[in-house]
Amino acid sequence: MSISRDDILQIATLAKLSVEESELPELTKDMAQMIAFADAINAVSTEASDFDNINGLVNVMREDVVEPSFSRDDILKNAESQDDGFFLVKKRS
Amino acid sequence: MQTSYSQIHQIRQLLDSKQLSCSELTQKYLDQIEALNPSLNAYVKVTAEKAMETAKAVDRKIADGGHILPLEGIPMTLKDNISTSGIETTCCSKILSGYTPIYDATVWELLQNQNAVLLGKTNMDEFAMGSSCETSCFGGAKNPHNIDCVAGGSSGGGASAVAANLAAFALGSDTGGSIRQPASFCGIVGLKPTYGSVSRYGLIAYASSFDQIGPITTCVEDAALVYDAISLQDSMDSTCRGGSPASHALKDDIKGVKIGIVEEYFDGVRDDVRAQINEAIRVYESLGADIVRFSMPEIKYGLPVYYILACAEASSNLGRYDGIRYGYKTAHYDNINEMVRKTRSEGFGKEVQHRILLGTYVLSAGYYDAYYKKAQNLRGMIVKSFQNAFQNCDVILAPTVPTTAFPCGSAIQDPVETYQTDLCTVPVNIAGLPAVSIPCGFDLKQLPVGLQIIGNSFCEAKILNVAYQFEAAARTSSFQSVNMGVQL
Repeated sequence: MSISRDDILQIATLAKLSVEESELPELTKDMAQMIAFADAINAVSTEASDFDNINGLVNVMREDVVEPSFSRDDILKNAESQDDGFFLVKKRS
Repeated sequence: MQTSYSQIHQIRQLLDSKQLSCSELTQKYLDQIEALNPSLNAYVKVTAEKAMETAKAVDRKIADGGHILPLEGIPMTLKDNISTSGIETTCCSKILSGYTPIYDATVWELLQNQNAVLLGKTNMDEFAMGSSCETSCFGGAKNPHNIDCVAGGSSGGGASAVAANLAAFALGSDTGGSIRQPASFCGIVGLKPTYGSVSRYGLIAYASSFDQIGPITTCVEDAALVYDAISLQDSMDSTCRGGSPASHALKDDIKGVKIGIVEEYFDGVRDDVRAQINEAIRVYESLGADIVRFSMPEIKYGLPVYYILACAEASSNLGRYDGIRYGYKTAHYDNINEMVRKTRSEGFGKEVQHRILLGTYVLSAGYYDAYYKKAQNLRGMIVKSFQNAFQNCDVILAPTVPTTAFPCGSAIQDPVETYQTDLCTVPVNIAGLPAVSIPCGFDLKQLPVGLQIIGNSFCEAKILNVAYQFEAAARTSSFQSVNMGVQL
């Protein structure tokens, strides 16, 4: 399948990446190459498989009891801006 | 050249017999890291103070006659995507610059309980996406066999450090070959455990249904020892049921063991690599193993299936990097949407953005059935193909990589071409199986060639025993010719 520059801009919006106009020609070429690579799977016919996970793993559960978790202060430590126990994000202008 | 490798059991004996204190040992490693790391770029962070602190505690314990655990005092490293409380963990990405985890990955907690000595965090491709270590924001790690060549990826730093004897072992992670491929390139041992045998808690996710942590060591015995230490059930990872101990199984005879040779694994393999693998097959025949040859046509689709599914999972996993809670944040923006987009575009490198875009594309409306769903169906077919194969054989032998270490800079020029180096490693991740890469000789340029031994789920003991028998028969320790690092 081919991919256009509009497709790239649409995917970038979905992926929350910003793409500069100047980057578009090279990015379109790179993505076309990667999609052509992925297209190899269309050469084979597949039946719907019942694949849902590997090794037949089932969830390993623990008892549903409250255990100590992280403190709010620790969780906020890595944020660039925080105030009064909250992450700070600039208001939409 | 005299080999300078230090196997864990050698270090154990030196420490336990008090011929060398753990502080002296650790200082030797730190000195050599200081001397050699500027040229190898294996470490992105050295934790000297913490290492000496642990070493002193080990010395006190040995002096007091305390109960000594198998990895007590052994100098080691962690890949920079394994969370270490209080120690910066960046995945070698600008977007996680300055990020200091507030908790330990389970594997690191288990090693700390044994007083293993953490020397530092090792280099990797950004978010483990690459096969050369060169997508790292710190630049790539170099290969100790030839520093003009890459160490491989993504766990290139750990492999480079172990091969140059700047650590006795390393933990890496393997999503599509990221432990086995650099181990192969650097002439050492790398084990990718069964999916679900080692906890992923605290491993920063790339593709959650593929990722698995495993050891990089200088010999098979050490790989088994480290695997046994980390393959435990964990209440923090609901996919982790733990593994079965492997160390005890290493001395078993392999007469009559059925070794499968799959023709598709040899498509596109370079002649001088193929020659070494064929030689290894002859060694196994001489040890009394039965060789069975067959075909697995489905694995030809392994590469595209892997890239579609891994990128899809990555596009979702990496959605969490928004600049708000941790890591890099753009300096100039007008609104939150712009902040998130600029943060991500400035913080992620080119390869990571490519994979997020491909992943978003294959999951988007109109393309989901043709790519993601189709690839999942193929994944199911590849799983079945391995299940059938293991009815006819005990293990499968294959090259780890179709080539050997390539020159620095060449991977960046042609990314899709570079994906081909994962040809022989990705099928195992698709099916969640265990596999080990061990050195089996050299190519025409005297660069190491890796032999891959693949087993059925949770059969680590079996593949490691088959690997151990080759190592003993072919005396592969004599292949390890790097004369660098710590001399004991």
